[in-house]
Amino acid sequence: MPTSNLQTNADAADSPARGDVRIDAREPKLHGPVVRHIAEFPAAGRSRDEAVVRLQNIGLKFTSYHDSHPSLKRALLNLVLRRSAPATNKTFWALQGIDLTIRQGERVALVGTNGAGKSTLLKVIARIYEPTVGRLTTRGRIAPMIEMGAGFHPELTGRRNIQLNGALMGMSRAEMTAREPAIWDWTGLAEFADLPLKYYSSGMFQRLAFAIATEVEPEILLVDESLNAGDASFVDKAKRRILDVFDKAKAVIVVSHDLGIVSELCTRTVWLDHGRIVADGPTPEILDRYVRAVTGG
Amino acid sequence: MSVAAEPSMTGDETAEFPAPLEDPRPALRAMVHTVRMYVVRDIDEFRRFRGVIGNLVSQELHVRYQRSMLGFLWTLVNPALMMSTQALVFSRLFRGIGGMGPWEYAVFLFSGAMPWTFLASSLTECTTSLIHQEGLIRKIYVPKWIFPLARVLIQGITFSLSLVALFVMLWPLGAKVSSSLLGLPIAMALLGIFTMGLGLIAATVHTFFRDFGHFLGVGLQAWYFLTPIIYRSDFLPADERWKFWLNPAYPFVRLFQILIHESSWPPAWLFLLCGFIGCATFSAGYLVFKSQERKIVFRL
Repeated sequence: MPTSNLQTNADAADSPARGDVRIDAREPKLHGPVVRHIAEFPAAGRSRDEAVVRLQNIGLKFTSYHDSHPSLKRALLNLVLRRSAPATNKTFWALQGIDLTIRQGERVALVGTNGAGKSTLLKVIARIYEPTVGRLTTRGRIAPMIEMGAGFHPELTGRRNIQLNGALMGMSRAEMTAREPAIWDWTGLAEFADLPLKYYSSGMFQRLAFAIATEVEPEILLVDESLNAGDASFVDKAKRRILDVFDKAKAVIVVSHDLGIVSELCTRTVWLDHGRIVADGPTPEILDRYVRAVTGG
Repeated sequence: MSVAAEPSMTGDETAEFPAPLEDPRPALRAMVHTVRMYVVRDIDEFRRFRGVIGNLVSQELHVRYQRSMLGFLWTLVNPALMMSTQALVFSRLFRGIGGMGPWEYAVFLFSGAMPWTFLASSLTECTTSLIHQEGLIRKIYVPKWIFPLARVLIQGITFSLSLVALFVMLWPLGAKVSSSLLGLPIAMALLGIFTMGLGLIAATVHTFFRDFGHFLGVGLQAWYFLTPIIYRSDFLPADERWKFWLNPAYPFVRLFQILIHESSWPPAWLFLLCGFIGCATFSAGYLVFKSQERKIVFRL
């Protein structure tokens, strides 16, 4: 068992569950200095088949670069003139020791003050940010609704953008073509299908983005407060649609400052602060503690 | 737990960070192990993301060509004008260069300048390929190497189209149709591998040093004149000609010159040499890129 390399699909199934296994993970040589890191797996208490997202001892070190325009010229000059480059980069841990298992059917909210690491955690689960240490397991198609219209190209028609976005979410051309009518139907934009996206109004753009993101039937839905714009009728319509998608998805993870939405939609809440999990449990209980802590009560 | 046959993202994922190694091993073996892991993963991702690659290529070609009928014509007119100017000037300047008349010189120039244009414009586009897709990279998971790959593929398509079109234009001037033209796809594939390797390096370096593009422009210009494209290798005295072979681009250019201008099959060793340089460059580019890939998203 300790022959755990990068866990490819085949051996991912049985590694974590055998309990009390220590894996000695070392920084691969390509990434510079060797960092020792030990991941411990808890004994298999719960059925592993339920876990849809599992984060084990995830840590993410951020480097904030103060030289916003790194230049080869300066680097070369420093080298030639034997000056040492000013050490302007600060590193800090944006996430530290995150252990989180999300099981099938859960709707999880991430709460915390600004800078607590909520959105960063969401991006780690979406695999946009690669963690510095730890182990991440996901099961199923992930749809990040972190920003709307991520893969949109303004020069292309709405129809072609649907194909592009579908491909980004892992849908084949045929699958996406089959879903196209439903998207046009829901958005009511069918007459603009062959118009380049740059001529769409921002409302039309948003409707299309939302429709595509929700049409691909994600198994793991990651939402980052993107549900709050548009006219009233759209918000209402969007809310109904997203609830529908929530019901179909295996797991939903929401980042929101709107505690009303959190308590309405989420069964479980994870409270983050300074990159660590402070509390994790049923929404009413955690929200209660969180609100008291934030308001200083 | 099986992976769907179709390219979909429903496959399950487990990844450990930092990617762990087995028991401590000698450094070289540990590195081989890591690289093998990367390769397995990238082959899997290539399968899953080929739809995205196809979309990136077709959207670019679409934007470039379909929305203006002159689009493709421009990519053709530009090198055609460039080459006829050069053919006129240089055939006069170096009078009787290697005993070639102006028409033959035009064919010679064409056979070397076309692959060069592919190499140079691919590298230029690879340089900015990552930072131009910042919006995508920061919002959704995509393997980053698909962007340089898409640029090289787009340039490859443009290259093949203009090769055909310009050849037809040069035909009346003495470009010969012969069986050696069948070797062009092989030559293009080899050049493509070489270009991809350099493109990966260019994309990586430019992400971390934003003025790399300027250096690249100057470097490409110098490299162009150091490569026997506008002149023949007999420009140098016989005992100094071996120096051209120090230039990694020369074997590729030579391949095209023999296939198109000399209408004969290059010796097998030249193919092998190009294959070797291509694979070595690609491997180097791949390693450079993979060693920095996880940092790219934080540096955009």
